[in-house]
Amino acid sequence: MHIVLVGMNYRSAPVEIRERLAFRREQLADALATLRGRVGLHEAAILSTCNRIEIYAGVPTLDGTIDRLQQFLSAHSHLALDGLVPQLYCYTEPHSIRHLFSVTSGLDSMVLGEAEILYQVKHAYQWAKEHGATGKALNTLFQRALNTAKAVRSQTAIGHGATSVGSVAVELAEKIFGRLSQASVLLIGAGTLGELTLTRLVDRGVTRLHIMNRSPDRAAGLAAGYGATPQPFNELAASLQQVDIIITSTNAPSAIIARAEVAAAMRLRHQHPLCLIDLGVPRNIDPAVSRLENVYLFNIDDLQGLVAHSHEQRQQALGQSQAIIEEKVDRFLDWWREELSPCDPSSLGPVAAP
Amino acid sequence: MVLIHTLCSLLSYVAFLVAFIIGLLFLMQERQLKRKTMGALFHRLPSLDLLDRINFLAISAGFGLLSIGLGCGLVGSRVILGRWWVADPKEVAALGLWACYLLLWIVRLRSTLRGHRVALLSVLGFTLVLFTFLGASWLLPTSHPYQSTLRRVSVS
Repeated sequence: MHIVLVGMNYRSAPVEIRERLAFRREQLADALATLRGRVGLHEAAILSTCNRIEIYAGVPTLDGTIDRLQQFLSAHSHLALDGLVPQLYCYTEPHSIRHLFSVTSGLDSMVLGEAEILYQVKHAYQWAKEHGATGKALNTLFQRALNTAKAVRSQTAIGHGATSVGSVAVELAEKIFGRLSQASVLLIGAGTLGELTLTRLVDRGVTRLHIMNRSPDRAAGLAAGYGATPQPFNELAASLQQVDIIITSTNAPSAIIARAEVAAAMRLRHQHPLCLIDLGVPRNIDPAVSRLENVYLFNIDDLQGLVAHSHEQRQQALGQSQAIIEEKVDRFLDWWREELSPCDPSSLGPVAAP
Repeated sequence: MVLIHTLCSLLSYVAFLVAFIIGLLFLMQERQLKRKTMGALFHRLPSLDLLDRINFLAISAGFGLLSIGLGCGLVGSRVILGRWWVADPKEVAALGLWACYLLLWIVRLRSTLRGHRVALLSVLGFTLVLFTFLGASWLLPTSHPYQSTLRRVSVS
C-alpha cells in the first residue's frame, strides 16, 4: 500500500485558485465516492480548509494514481489541468507522511503552531471514516498524526503565547481576572483594532459590554452590533469605577484618561484591579497611570512586543518540534514496512514537487 | 488543651507559609505584567485574581487557627501554671503576630487594601512567623521549647 498526497496550500497557490478547489462539507460524500470509484483509490481522506486542500490516498500501486488525482481536482475545480498542475504538490511516503504530521502539528500553518488545524485534520479524518473511505493505512496514519500533534504541542513551546494584538490582550486580561465571563468591558472609540480586541473578548465569554464614543450615533450603532450598552462620553469617570477592562481606540490628539482620574476611581472601587488597553496613537491614556497599584496598562507597543515575542518563541520551538515529528514518522514507517510495504522502501521518494 | 494549642499554632504557621508562597507568586506574576516581560513561569501561574483569593483564604485560615491556638495557650497556662499570662517572650511575639495578622485580615476583608499590598504584607508577615516560631524559641530565653511542651503533655 502506498500513501499518496496531492494538494495545494497558501504557499503553492493563491486564494482565487484555492477557493475553487475547496470542498464544502456537503460535497465530501460524493467526492470520496468518486475517489474510491473512478479514481481507483482504496482509501481516501480530504482535508479542506481556507489555507489548504489536500487529498490523502491509500493505493496498492502508484500506476497513474497521481495523474488521475490531478484530473479529478481539475474536474472538481473547473480549472484546466495545465494551469492547475503547477500549483499542486504531490508526495508519496515518506514525504506524504511527514507532511501530514507537520501540517497537523501546525508547523505548516500561516501562523506557526496554531491549534485550529489539529481539529480540522481530526474532522477531515472523522468524515472520511464515517463515509467508509478509510482503511488500515489511513486510519493508522491519521491517528498517529493526531497523536504526534498532541505530543508536539505538549512537549514544545510551538503553541505558546498569543499571536495577534487582540488575543494578547485577552491573554493579559485572563492573567489578571482569571475567567472573563464575569468581567465588564468598556470600549472607547471606534478604531478597527479596538473592535477586533472586543470581538476576541466576546469570544472568551465576556457579556457585559459598554461602548463609548464622541458621537452618540456611532456608539449606538456599534453597541447594537455587539449587544452592548452605549454610554455617553461624559460618564467616563463613573465607568472607571465600574468596569474591569477598558479598551481605548480613539484618534484623540491627547490623553483622554488622566492619572488623577484613575487614582480617584481606584479608591472608590476598593482597589479592585483595572486593566487598561490603550490602542491609540497618540496614546489615549496617560502612561503614568501604570504606576498606580492594581492598575495594569498596556499600550500598542507592549501588545505588539508580546506578539513578536510569541512568534519568536514558536520559531525557537521549530527544531524541537521537527525532531519529534521525525521520530514519529520513523516509527510509523517501521509499522508501515511491516504491515503494508509494497516494495523496497529505498526506492521511495517524492514523485513531483511544485 | 496543650496539644490543641500546639497543633493549632503549628497549623496556623503552615497557613501563613501558604499565604507567603502565594503572595510571592502574586508579586512575581504582577511584576511580569507591569514590566510586560512574560517569562517562562508566566504561562504556568494562575491569574492574579485567583492568587489574591487563595492568599486571603490562607490568611483567614491562619488567623483563625492562631486565635484558637492562643486561646488554648492562655487557658492551658491558667490550668498548668495558675496564671493567664506569664509574659514569656514567645507569648509576647505570638500576640504581636496575632495583632499583625488581625490587622491584615481586616484591611483585606474591608478591601481597604487588595492585590499588591496584601501580597507584600503576607510575604513580610511571614518573617514575623519565623521570628515567633524560631527566634523566640532559640534566641530568647523561653518557657516554650518543644521538649518542655512534650514533657507537659506527658504530665497532663
